[in-house]
Amino acid sequence: MVADVFLTILTVAFALMVVFSKKTVVSAFALLMTLLSLAMIFFQLGTVFLSAVQVLVNAGAIAILFVFVMMLINLEQFGNNREKSKVKLVISTFTVLVVLGVFALVINNNIDSLSVVNLTDNSMKALFDKLFNSYFLPFEMATVLLLAAIVASVVIATHEKDESIEQMEILKAEEKL
Amino acid sequence: MFEVMLEILIKTVVILALPLGALPIIIHVERRGAAFMQKRLGPNRVGPFGLLQPLADVAKFMFKEEVHPTHVKPFFYTAAPIIALVVAILPLACIPVMAPFQAFGRTIFPEVFRSDMGIFYAFAASALGSYGILLAGWASNNKYSMLGALRACAQMVSYELSLSTSVVAMIFLYGSNDIHVMISAQTGYWFGFLPKWGVFLQPVAALLFLVGIFAESNRLPFDLAEGESELVAGYHLEYSSMKFALFFMAEYIHMIALSALLIILFFGGYSLLPGLELIAEKAPILLAVLQLTSLGIKIALMIWFFVWVRWTLPRFRYDKLMDLGWERLLPLGIANLIVTVLFVYFRNQ
Amino acid sequence: MSIYYYLAAFLFCLGLLGTIFKKDLISMLLCLELMMGGVALLFILFSKSTGFLDAQLMVIFTMIISACEVAVGLSLIIALYRKKQTIYTDDIKIITE
Repeated sequence: MVADVFLTILTVAFALMVVFSKKTVVSAFALLMTLLSLAMIFFQLGTVFLSAVQVLVNAGAIAILFVFVMMLINLEQFGNNREKSKVKLVISTFTVLVVLGVFALVINNNIDSLSVVNLTDNSMKALFDKLFNSYFLPFEMATVLLLAAIVASVVIATHEKDESIEQMEILKAEEKL
Repeated sequence: MFEVMLEILIKTVVILALPLGALPIIIHVERRGAAFMQKRLGPNRVGPFGLLQPLADVAKFMFKEEVHPTHVKPFFYTAAPIIALVVAILPLACIPVMAPFQAFGRTIFPEVFRSDMGIFYAFAASALGSYGILLAGWASNNKYSMLGALRACAQMVSYELSLSTSVVAMIFLYGSNDIHVMISAQTGYWFGFLPKWGVFLQPVAALLFLVGIFAESNRLPFDLAEGESELVAGYHLEYSSMKFALFFMAEYIHMIALSALLIILFFGGYSLLPGLELIAEKAPILLAVLQLTSLGIKIALMIWFFVWVRWTLPRFRYDKLMDLGWERLLPLGIANLIVTVLFVYFRNQ
Repeated sequence: MSIYYYLAAFLFCLGLLGTIFKKDLISMLLCLELMMGGVALLFILFSKSTGFLDAQLMVIFTMIISACEVAVGLSLIIALYRKKQTIYTDDIKIITE
């Protein structure tokens, strides 16, 4: 119980840092710490494999991508003097508080049935038995999605000289002649 | 409860003390090995054969002035070496140094973090290794450090892929992800003389893993992160005295941890070296010590291999490195994985 | 264990808040990632309370989707930065060129 409360406080603190930190790099590292403390929570809940996957994929790859892009872009050149619209902050806070209230109500009303712990077979064998039998089609679709994302990100981010513009210029030059 | 905590404490101290104690020796071996390969003498003035040189180095690192450049980002600049060292130590937690044994009325597992997911934990912790370097490069606020850090990070992320394909192939082959099961599958002999090591079953995966750990630990021929001729010193350019020493220690401990993983997957882990069984049969009480010795000898040989490669091969060019990772090793790893899976499928039928 | 349900809801809402009021695209993506974390936690909690493994598989799918989202999103940000030298949503007002 103490561990639960401690992990919750840790996660909440880092999550608040992600949203309210002024520097984007600080919020990226706070996100990394949030993901790591989420992995600890997964471990605490007994899903060791998912906790390892969380560290390996989310903290080890996704958060690194963020930091990488931030360093490529050099955020400091933008400065910190963007005007902040107070109205937007107030409205969004209000909206989110309403959403949070709805969630809290739903959880509060069902807390008895939700707090039941049904022991599951957490072993990798049971997990992947299910994945490769009942969830085979979604799994294959997810792999195709990943492949598409790889191709898309390579195509989008590759820096190429725009040949069509050059050809247009050549055409214009020919027309003038 | 108290007993369990005491057990974990003792294990933690031992698993930390072994690599940290071996560190000065490794550094000394590296220097003398370099000198040996270049027909020099190497450090031989302090103590017999220069054996006290590492101690002198430690003293120097401790008493040197901490130069704190003014243009760095202070918090991250200080945090980076600590993060690098801590993350390098983490994978050691799941590496068993001997077989589980019976004592005090229960089975005692020799690793700190006992779980059948140990190998995943090790790779997850190792995947965090690039943060220390990335932070150091960014916090130094210096173009060379930055470039070095970006290079190191891209390289580590790319080579992790081929590394994990080889690990998955080995997990399929042994049919388990428990480290102890993997090692017991590698105990024994084929034809009476050839040890049942994974490297003989899966030479391709072993090669992939070997290349992968060279890239992960940023050692030559993949030490693009600190290529002196292009980047001055790479990510630790702005670091001096103890902070620099922390990076140094992190690199060597990362090397030890990754070598231990290689040995667990491909060279039988703590299973006895050929010849040591004769002693173990005569005196079963010594079994644990002999297993520890076997693992130690294997890791020492692996470290020597690191040193050997470092002073033999030249550094890669960066685009060649990326081509090797993505266009050669990754397809090779996937092909190897497919072949392994088919083999295991037809074997189990 | 019930405290984690509130944590999951809180993480999701905090991510939502950040996604709405943050100004630069990278921070918005970071907050999306936070929402994904809340969702993953909620799935694991459901799997604990119902005893079905299906919810744990959903966590794996969540991770795959968040990986895709981040990869494409960040490459879009880089492409945008190359073109306009900005990553702020306020500066991107023109739809066509």
